[in-house]
Parts: sequence; structure tokens; C-alpha cells
Amino acid sequence: MRRSPRYGSGVRNPANAAMAAVTVFALCSGAWLLRNGAETHAPPQPSAAQARAGQDGRAREQAAVPALPPSPPDRIRIPAIRVDAPLTGLGLTRTGSLDVPPAARKNLAGWYEAGTTPGEKGTAIVAGHVDNAEGPAVFYALGALAKGSTIEVDRRDGSVAVFTVDAVEVYAAKDFPDEKVYGAAHRPELRLITCGGGYSRGTGYQGNVVVFAHLTGSR
Amino acid sequence: MRRTARPLTGTALAVAAAALAAAPAYGASAGDLEVSPSSVVPGGQVTVRTAACGTDGTATGDAGAVGAGSLGLAPGPHGQDVTGRFRVPPSAQPGTYEITATCSGSGRRVTGDLVVTLVSGREQVHPRGSVKTGVGGALGPDPLQTAAGVAALAVAAAGGTWLLHRRARGDGI
Repeated sequence: MRRSPRYGSGVRNPANAAMAAVTVFALCSGAWLLRNGAETHAPPQPSAAQARAGQDGRAREQAAVPALPPSPPDRIRIPAIRVDAPLTGLGLTRTGSLDVPPAARKNLAGWYEAGTTPGEKGTAIVAGHVDNAEGPAVFYALGALAKGSTIEVDRRDGSVAVFTVDAVEVYAAKDFPDEKVYGAAHRPELRLITCGGGYSRGTGYQGNVVVFAHLTGSR
Repeated sequence: MRRTARPLTGTALAVAAAALAAAPAYGASAGDLEVSPSSVVPGGQVTVRTAACGTDGTATGDAGAVGAGSLGLAPGPHGQDVTGRFRVPPSAQPGTYEITATCSGSGRRVTGDLVVTLVSGREQVHPRGSVKTGVGGALGPDPLQTAAGVAALAVAAAGGTWLLHRRARGDGI
């Protein structure tokens, strides 16, 4: 067989060339997929810049608006992290901790039914899973929220309560600041809670990411 | 309302009694109608109390704002004030309602606010501790990506083998 002078010892048959290209592409993408798939996808955690500020920080906050009448919430939306989820009612566990929504429904958050309704004066509490056995869940990106982000809650009376994020904190489970997170407030406030603060195979997530927000509007 | 029927009869008798009484003596803190609990869920019981009507006085209460009609206030166990009870209708809407009471003797009118909420603010129990909202499912390897990677590598292996065969046969790779 005579070798093509143009290609020298290179590829002569177009079928071979195509196969070589496919092989190289499959090799590269296969390696990338395996490496990426095996990596851990830890949920984002808040930075120190998102922590609760002192006295001066309060002054920069967006002005609070008067409280809304009580009305149960139906849905929560956080455009900044693409959350749009229905809300279910939550109670307490036997140990007094907040119960959680069923883990199997990954796009479902819950609100503490025996507490304040979002928009009403006081501290309303909403919790959602960061992940379930299958992967990321409704509040996976909660730790990526920043001060000033907007949270909207659809209420059964037809109104929408609009909250603005004041701070995003992460607290260890063994030293959880109950009063800061759940304590009563003199204005309409909202807390969003999910798991976070590091993960260990034996004990799971080490704490909670908590978003602090207050009512800044309604429509 | 059946519940208020008996106290009202009591009021009628008391009105007559009060008419005989001399000028009522006002208590020191006789300004308001005390509503207890001040925050209640629909269907809940509310007690009102005032010292404005003096010792052994009576009063007629009006809880019509919240849909509970009128009620009678009779002297309480301590004799210092008059008290009455009513039930907030289960159909009551959340909001703040003014409850009034008028002393039978002096005609003095006192008011107090009742807040109807869907959840009881007074007996609110705050949760404690952290919340179990994750199992680490986001942390492990992604099975879909891993499977895709394995499939891609299989394609690469097949392609490589095919090319090596061609080369071994001298097909000019």
C-alpha cells in the first residue's frame, strides 16, 4: 500500500480519523465526568460578611413595615437562590426541637404552625432540608444568600409578605442560640433554617445555617 | 346566647341592688377593662375584669364586636372588682376588638382590647435546639455523573481497541 504523501505517516482513512476523534473526546469527557461526579458537593456556607451586625448594622437595614394580620403561609419564594416551594405545617419533636418536612419531598419547606405566621408581629420560623438521600433539597443554597436578598411568602389571605435578609449565620448544634433564633421579636421577623456547618459521616451535619430577615413590604 | 343568659339574670337583680347603693367608690386602678387572656384563638374563653364599678357593683359587658354578644359582670371572689366570661365564636376573624363594660350603678364605661389570633401568642412555645434538615445526600458522589463517565470511558476503550486493531492490520492509522 502506498502512503499518502500529504499525510505522511498520519491518518489516511477518514473513518479512522473520526474514530480517533471520538475516542479522544470520550476519554477526556469520561475522565472529567468521573472526577466531577466523585467530588463532594458541600452546600454553600455563609461568609463572615453575612453575620449579624452590631448596633451600626441595624441602622443600615431597610426600614421595617407595620405587621400584617395573622394568616397561614402557603408558599415561599427566594429568587436569589431560585427557591419556589410549598410550605407544610410543622410541630415539635418529643425533645422540643422543631420537626422537619418529609425528607422524600425535596422541594418542600415547612413553617412552625404553633408559632407566629410570617408577616405577623413576632418571629416566624421556616425550615427546609439542605439535602436528602438522593441529593440537594429545597434549602441547599440557603448559605449562599446575602444581606439584602428578598424572601417572599404567599399567605392564605391572598397577600404576599416581603422580607429582606438581615444576616446569614451558621451555628453549631451543640451550642445552638435558641433565644436568638426562636425568641420573640417586637416586629415581624422571619427565620429560615437548614442544615450546615460541616459534615461528618458519623454524626451528619454539625449545625444549622440560619437566615435572619424582617418584613419590609407586602402586596 | 345560652351561656350569657344566667349572668344577665344576675345583672338584672344586681342593677336593682346597685340602685339602692350609695355613690360607688372607685378603686385606685379602676381605669380599664382587663381582658384575660388578651390574645385568644377563635373558640377560646375570655375573662374580663374591672375595678371601675367599685365593691359589690355589677356591670354589663359588650363583646358584640367579636360576635360574642353581651355579658354580665358580677362581683368576683375578692369583692374588689366585677368579672364576666364569654366565649369567642369559632368563626371569629383575627384582629383586635374592643370589649366594653358599663357599670350598672355609675354608668361608667371602661374598655379593653382583645386580640384574636390564629395561633395563641401567649402560650407560644418556642422550639429548642438545632434542626435535622439534612443527611449528607448532596455530599456523596453523583451516581448519574459517575455512570456517564464510565459509559464515556467504555466508548473510548472500544474506539481505542478498534484503532489498534486497524493499526495492527496495517490499515494506516
